[in-house]
Amino acid sequence: MDLSLTEPQELLRGAARTFVEREAPTHAIVAAHRGDATLAADLWRKAIALGWPGILVPAGYGGSESSLTDAAVLFEELGRGPVPGPFFSSGVLGALTVLEAATEAQRRAILPRVARGEVVLTVAITEPNASWGSPGVTLTPPRVGDRFRLDGTKLFVADATAATHFVVVVRTGEVAGDLSVLLVEATAPGVRSRLLPGFLSWQGEVTFEGVDVPAAALLGRENQGGAALERALLRAWPVLCAFMVGGCQAVFEMSVAHSRQRVQFGVPIGKFQRVQDHVIRLVNHLDAARWTTAEALWKLDTGRPAIDAVHLAKAVSSEAYLEACNAAHEVHAGQGSLTEYGLVAHTQMSRTLFPYLGDPRWHKRRMADALSW
Amino acid sequence: MDFEVTYSEAQQGFRREVRAWLDANVPPGLTRVPSSPADSLARYRELRALGRKLGDRGWLYPRAPSQYGGGGLDVDHCIILEEEVDRLGLSLPPYYDSGGRLGSATILVWGTEAQKRAMLPPIYRGEVRTWQLLTEPGAGSDLAGVTTTAIRDGDAYVINGQKIFVGSDHGADRIWMIAVTSPGGQRHENLSWFMIDAALPGITVQPMELLGTGGEGGTDPVTKNTVFFDQVRVPAFTLVGGENHGWKAATTHLELEHGAGGRIGRHRVWDRLLAYCQQTKRDGVPLAQHPDTRDLLADAYVKTEVMRLFGLRNFWLTYARQPRSYEGPQLSYYRKLTGLWMTGAILEMVGPAALTTDPTWGSPDGFLELQQRNGIVAVHPGGTADIQRVTMARRIGIGRTSREAAGTVH
Repeated sequence: MDLSLTEPQELLRGAARTFVEREAPTHAIVAAHRGDATLAADLWRKAIALGWPGILVPAGYGGSESSLTDAAVLFEELGRGPVPGPFFSSGVLGALTVLEAATEAQRRAILPRVARGEVVLTVAITEPNASWGSPGVTLTPPRVGDRFRLDGTKLFVADATAATHFVVVVRTGEVAGDLSVLLVEATAPGVRSRLLPGFLSWQGEVTFEGVDVPAAALLGRENQGGAALERALLRAWPVLCAFMVGGCQAVFEMSVAHSRQRVQFGVPIGKFQRVQDHVIRLVNHLDAARWTTAEALWKLDTGRPAIDAVHLAKAVSSEAYLEACNAAHEVHAGQGSLTEYGLVAHTQMSRTLFPYLGDPRWHKRRMADALSW
Repeated sequence: MDFEVTYSEAQQGFRREVRAWLDANVPPGLTRVPSSPADSLARYRELRALGRKLGDRGWLYPRAPSQYGGGGLDVDHCIILEEEVDRLGLSLPPYYDSGGRLGSATILVWGTEAQKRAMLPPIYRGEVRTWQLLTEPGAGSDLAGVTTTAIRDGDAYVINGQKIFVGSDHGADRIWMIAVTSPGGQRHENLSWFMIDAALPGITVQPMELLGTGGEGGTDPVTKNTVFFDQVRVPAFTLVGGENHGWKAATTHLELEHGAGGRIGRHRVWDRLLAYCQQTKRDGVPLAQHPDTRDLLADAYVKTEVMRLFGLRNFWLTYARQPRSYEGPQLSYYRKLTGLWMTGAILEMVGPAALTTDPTWGSPDGFLELQQRNGIVAVHPGGTADIQRVTMARRIGIGRTSREAAGTVH
């Protein structure tokens, strides 16, 4: 048993932390949330030089083939921002879905470009019925000769406007799992994307209007996409959890600092046990997310059965990030609601990721099923 | 990261040795729920006899230094011992020995060489069972506010006062206690620890009638006591850690009591609850298949998993000698609050059957009824949930210019 990071992981963490502090300071993240797209584009360019878009891509396809735990070290640091950009959408869920679903020739064509950051993927699953499970996928493109014809809407698609390609999950059969995965260029005629306005971060609507998709864009075989997506999600979820752990860690540090600096009634507010209680609630959520995530990653990396552990981690981490931000707002009061302070960026991200790829209750139910109760 | 203890061939050999020894030496029925007070005493004697046998091999306190009668074993061997004992539904020591566990750790850090040689071997060999005596009627969370006095008189101290919420059933051989050695002295600079004989004249033990004991380690239905001291004369040698230095030494004791040691065992109440919900039917369907119950079971499982991981983390921090901060009281706090929450969740899942010990209509051995009691009582022993939060806040450094260091744990 050893719960510490390896030396290379510590080095990666240090490099990522320096990068985030230097390249994505709070004011830039706040500006990005206000609609300034330069930060995300800028960061993506710099991240390419560091090889981060290909962190999970196998070496044979031009990536660095890191372990999930390695990737989680990076994503925890990105989560501290929270850093915008398609790091997860393309480098994790996108790359893993292609890896799991595509033929060898398709992998060779796509993955090296994903690793180089030229191709930016995002996986489009959810539809207006907002269900995350495979039964919720109803978009059924009729096959006309050697083409699919795509008409419909995908919703809450992460980084919808940053993607060069959509990995679109569609229904091709009647059984719940009969899904297929199509790779659709964002610039193809009839494809439109826009970010959704409001209290969510970088999620959008993607509409397909009479889009002609060549059969060659079908990743792998028909009706095999559902199982491939499940395998990809299983490995992607805990990396997303690590991003949320980083978010929890950041708002914890903010809250401790604020409780020591903010003086009311002549004393730092952290002297008040009511304020302390908020910080303690926060750190308990943080650590619950941290250790459930770490164990799920370890199980996956070592080839152990991990399905229940992964669902546990996603349920705990989603809840933890949301509750951590709630507690941080109680500590910060008015200050926390100033967008320029930086807490709001986390709060908004915590709300966005709470239901993303399955809300806590959904994951807990799948966990119970995986445990065969 | 590696969440699993990996075993070498030598370790697996040790496991076979331990298992064979336990099979030969642990009498059947040792984990039974006693059928009567006489059976309870009989069972206690069996547990003590097992303790002495374990002590002879250094397996009662396997990690304690061998020159004082401990096992002197490394982490890898201790883990195997703990796992094998846990497999039988027992722990080390197999009986309530809080004063031995916490007192010996304190003596190792703060005792003189002569004290270590005199006081530790009987504990480590299982010759004595020791209670800890901290709480008083006027000093619960405010431990520094104790008023039991131990006044120097020649080469002895004379103890007077009253301690409550003490020990278990079937008495003790030794007492590990804190008392005021400097009445009128500065707060935190007036206390000392003593390791004394429990059979001295002037000591009276009176059982308390309580809702339950809420023992953090388990859910045994045992008693707590009031202990009176009336002109009890103890040798000056029994004072540990220096006169009036008791508060400093208390950090070691309290750190362990606050969960810093961590644990790697199974959560037995959870295991039994799940089995109960799978076997018990309502409207012809197992409870675990009712959607509402299943959701609550999942919530309960999530909490026990987080608790397990906090325990595992603390176990690793301790044995890998990593720096600690708030993790000990965090585990304690989380465990207490989860137990309390669980009382309501179980009542909602199971219904009134959780409240009865009736052999026909209640749960097996009344384990759920016991949880209903102990989940409530457990909020206070070893420091209330609120005290755990206070300690966490100091360790994190909220509202302070510096962070408080965690206590020394050997």
